[in-house]
Parts: sequence; structure tokens; C-alpha cells
Amino acid sequence: MKALTPGRQDAKTPGAAAFAGLALWRRCALTVKATALAVVLVFVGCATTSTPSTALTGDILVDGPRMAAEGPARDRVLWQYRTAAAAMRQGKFAEARPLLDDALLTLQGIYGPDAEARKSRGLFQRESRKTFIGEPYERSMAYFYRGVLYWRDGELDNARACFRSAQFEDSDTADKTYAGDWVLPDYLEALATAKLGGDGTDALQRAQANVRNASLPPLNPAVNTLFIVEFGPGPVKYATGNYGEQLRFRTRPSSVKSARLSLNNLSIPIAPVDDVNFQATTRGGRVMDHILANQAVFKSATDSFGDAAIVSGAVLAGTGNRHSTANSVGLGLLAAGLVSKIVSSAASPEADVRMWDNLPQWLSFAQLTLPPGAHTATIQFLDAAGKPVEKLTKTVSFTVPAGGPDQVIFVSDTSTTPQTQ
Amino acid sequence: MKKLSKTTFILISAATLALVTGCASSGVKNPSGTGVTRLNADEQGFVAGTGIESQDLVAVADQMARSILAIPQIANAPTPPIVVLDPVENKTRFPINKDIFLTRIRAQLNSKTFGKVTFLARDRMAALEKERNLKREGAVTATTDPGMQEFKGADYFLTGSLEGMSTRTKAGTSDYILYAFQLIDARTSAIVWEDMAEMKKQGLEDAAYR
Repeated sequence: MKALTPGRQDAKTPGAAAFAGLALWRRCALTVKATALAVVLVFVGCATTSTPSTALTGDILVDGPRMAAEGPARDRVLWQYRTAAAAMRQGKFAEARPLLDDALLTLQGIYGPDAEARKSRGLFQRESRKTFIGEPYERSMAYFYRGVLYWRDGELDNARACFRSAQFEDSDTADKTYAGDWVLPDYLEALATAKLGGDGTDALQRAQANVRNASLPPLNPAVNTLFIVEFGPGPVKYATGNYGEQLRFRTRPSSVKSARLSLNNLSIPIAPVDDVNFQATTRGGRVMDHILANQAVFKSATDSFGDAAIVSGAVLAGTGNRHSTANSVGLGLLAAGLVSKIVSSAASPEADVRMWDNLPQWLSFAQLTLPPGAHTATIQFLDAAGKPVEKLTKTVSFTVPAGGPDQVIFVSDTSTTPQTQ
Repeated sequence: MKKLSKTTFILISAATLALVTGCASSGVKNPSGTGVTRLNADEQGFVAGTGIESQDLVAVADQMARSILAIPQIANAPTPPIVVLDPVENKTRFPINKDIFLTRIRAQLNSKTFGKVTFLARDRMAALEKERNLKREGAVTATTDPGMQEFKGADYFLTGSLEGMSTRTKAGTSDYILYAFQLIDARTSAIVWEDMAEMKKQGLEDAAYR
């Protein structure tokens, strides 16, 4: 065996008992060093997985496609959603179409085992590492927008399919009172069915049963112009709870409460029909919420155990001499406490708050039977007193084709103006 | 060989453990990508949903093509019946390119029956009328009298509908789709043939999405 160094020999001598405390702190320091090194290496190891950041320009129509193509694959659908909504508000419907198509393909193929989703349920992985497809209200909106685009293209049956899927995404709420309670998808499904020569009564009745503070017009297959109008800011996701493990939604106040369409000496009030905030907040708990809650309990328990073990370990180790049982137990507790703290800090119960952040609060519509030819419509967005909100008035020019497909005009309070659709 | 000191040993062990642990969490699925896998159109691949997919299209179109050929109006016709495709109506919750069903049935019948059925290219009428007008104007040559009306009328219309029924619960998503096709006599409006195929699919997404 290697001879002890003079210093260590000193420690073996009976007279060296006074140095026992010093030796203990040396060991503690060594343990802390090892732990710190381990932590640094863990983070260094993980750092290699990060994706190079892509500089954003602030223009969603530039950033969105770039992030969808070059950003993390798990966020692709998120950027596609955002970009499609922004493109529609600028009248760039041809740009929105493929983005929504691709996003919906991902959404429709999400069944079965998914490695990233499985990892996102793990103790030490954030929920946000899973592929984003959105909460049910976000998925419904993706189908809704695609339905509007199909209608614009004259594909009424595919538009209807999208409105059905929009409603379908909302069908497994915790409280069945709020299941499938979107109004506009049901009404537009009924109207499309009526225009295709079918019976849209069922869907119309569902829409009428769910509508609040507005009245729906009877189905009129002769309608040839639809205005889809949206306004107000949509819901904001945030995380709460001790470790951010609870997903919550914040609704933002809107100065716009309704709209008015003026066209050919007509003035048509447009009351809100669907509230996206309401849809976001009435879904109820997710399965993932239970998983995150359990992870939070684990994080809390290991953290508390770590605290208790470190304190009691330090006290025990400090009371006896170097070779005493108390000293050994104390050191063991100290090490266990540190490990427990590391495990606790590595646990990630944070809820996924990635969100489709340019959704509106309100959806509404107006329908008209217009003579063929060119028309110009003005849409004013009104406050609670019914007065137009400054700088939000939009002008849209469009042409109703003779005997052609319906004209579908999409207007948001954030749309660019004037537009030709 | 000089023995490692206790301190060095602990530090090396901790570093090794941390590196291994760190790298374990950095696993990237298929870091080298996945090679292109060629599948038959009637096979279910590893990417699947509960909606309408190629294997459904192939199975349904094949069944319909065989079924049409068996009816007396086609099998015993003295001259090949003339059929026009009327677009299928999609009543499901899945937006699809619905024309693909009729296109495949038509291609199947044309390629396998060697002229037992004649289809009209009504979807090309604009180009056909333009060509006919050029012939009538003498701008291009014609092998027959261009003044004659040679565009044919239909004996039958082949059409159909896709209907669906969907359920979604905590246990998963279930989609039933009924594919129904008809051959309609253009003169009498009688449905001389009808057949159907039905499929039901169920799926459950990862708990992370529920």
C-alpha cells in the first residue's frame, strides 16, 4: 500500500482529532466539486442538441416559412399556423393554402407511438419537446381557415369536411356541455350542404342551439357572397403552479366588440358568433396535466428530501470524529441529499406554452346575394358603444362571377387595407 | 503504474457518469435519416391516420371496377356503353382529392377491359371545342367533315359519394367511411348499378396530445 503522506500521517495520529472538522469540510468540498463538474458536463452534453437559432426579421411572412423549414421540426406546425393566418390577413390565400395543408397532414397523422411525444412525458424532458399540433381550439381554427380557403376555391364539399373536422376537434372536452359547441363551423357546414342540394337542417339546429348573443339567418342556397370576419386578440397560454406545470389561458380585453359591413347602400351589422377565448378555456383538463402534476410532485419531493438530507447529513457528520459511524452516515446523507437535489433540478414538469399567437378572439360572418360584377365593401370594427374604432376600417374590392363559384371575402381587424380579393 | 488518488478517481467517475447521462438525453431519432421506402399503393405504411389513404383508394377502386364489369348493361352490351364521370361528393370530415377515385376506376376499366366501356373526356371540353373550332375555320387540317357534330353524349353517368361517421373520446378516434358508387342511365335516370365499400379505422394519439 502506498505510504501515507506526512499530512495524512498527521491525521492518523491521536492528537490530530482537532483536525477532524477540517477533514470533513475537505470531503464536502470534494463532493461539491464533483457534483458541480457533473452538472456542468450534463449541460455541456445537452448543449450539443440545440438547433442553431435563426434570426427573425419581424415579418411573419418571411420568418414563418423560414422557421418552418429551418427551425426545430417540433415547431413546424406552429409556424405554419401563424404564417397561414397572417397570409390570409394580407389577402395572400395561395400562400396560406399549402401551409395549412401541410399542418393538417401532421395533425391527421399523429396517432400511435411517437418517440418525441413519449420523451416529452418523461421526468427530465420538457413537454414542449413534442411536435406541436396545438390544443383543440388551435386545431379547430386550422381546419376552419382551411375550410374558408376551400370555399373560396369553389370546393364546397371539402370546405364542409374541414368545418366538420373543426367541430370534431372540440368533441372530447372534459365537460360534455362544451363539446362540439363551435357555431360558425356548424352553420357553414349547413349552408354548404344546402348549396350542394342536401339537407343541412341538423347542422343548422346544432348551430342555433349553441349561438349566444346573435341570431343566425335561415339557410339560403342562393347566397353567393360570404364575408368571414374576425376581430379581437385571441387567448394567451401561460404556465402556473410551483413549477409552471399547470397550463392556463389568459384572455385579453378587446376594444372591438362587433363589426359593420357597408356595401351597395347596405349597412349590415355583424355580431360575434364564436369566441375563441371561450373555446380555449372550456376544454377542461388534459391527460398531460395529470402527468405534469405527478412530475411536479416528484420534483417537490426530491427537492425537500435533498434539503433535509443535506442539513441532517451535515449536522451528523459534524458531530463525530472522522471514523465514527455518525460521520459516515452523515456523509452518506449529504451525498444522497446532493443527488436528490440534482435529480430534482433536472425534473422538468413545465407545461408547454407554445401557442398560435395571432388567433382572433371573435369569429363572425355575413352572407349576401349580390349581382355579378365588381363590388367594394367597407368593414368597420365597432367598440362597445357601437362607434368605429379608429384606423381599423377595411376596404375590400371583389368581383362576383356570373354563375360562378361563391365569392368568399376574409376580413380581420388586423388585415391590410385596401385589398382586392 | 501509479495508482489514481481517491480525489481523481471520484472526479473521473463523476465526469464519466455525467457525460453518459448528458449524452443519453441528447439522442436524436434517426440521426442519419431514413432511406426512401418504396411501398405498394395498397400497403399501409408506417405513416397512417384514420382518414382516407392510398390503400383504401386502391381497394375501393378495384372492387368497383370489377363490380361494374359484371353487370349485364356492360358485359352484354352490343356496343361499348359511353360513360361520363360525374364528380364524387365528399360528405366525410376529411378534405380529399375526391376525383382520384373515379380516375382510378376509369383507368382500371380502360386498361383491363380493352374497350368494353368508353369514357368521355368531359373535363377536356374547353380544349376539344377549341380544336374543333380551329378545324371548322380551316386553321388546321381535319380528317372528317368538321361541320358535323361528333362529340358524343353519355349512356351512363358514373358517380358516387363518400360518407363518414366519426367518434372521438378519451379512448381514441374512430372513423367509419362508406364509399358508394352508382352507374346512372342518362336517358331514364335509373340507377343500373350500385356498389359500396366500407372501412373503419381507430387510432389513439400519445397521451402528450390528449
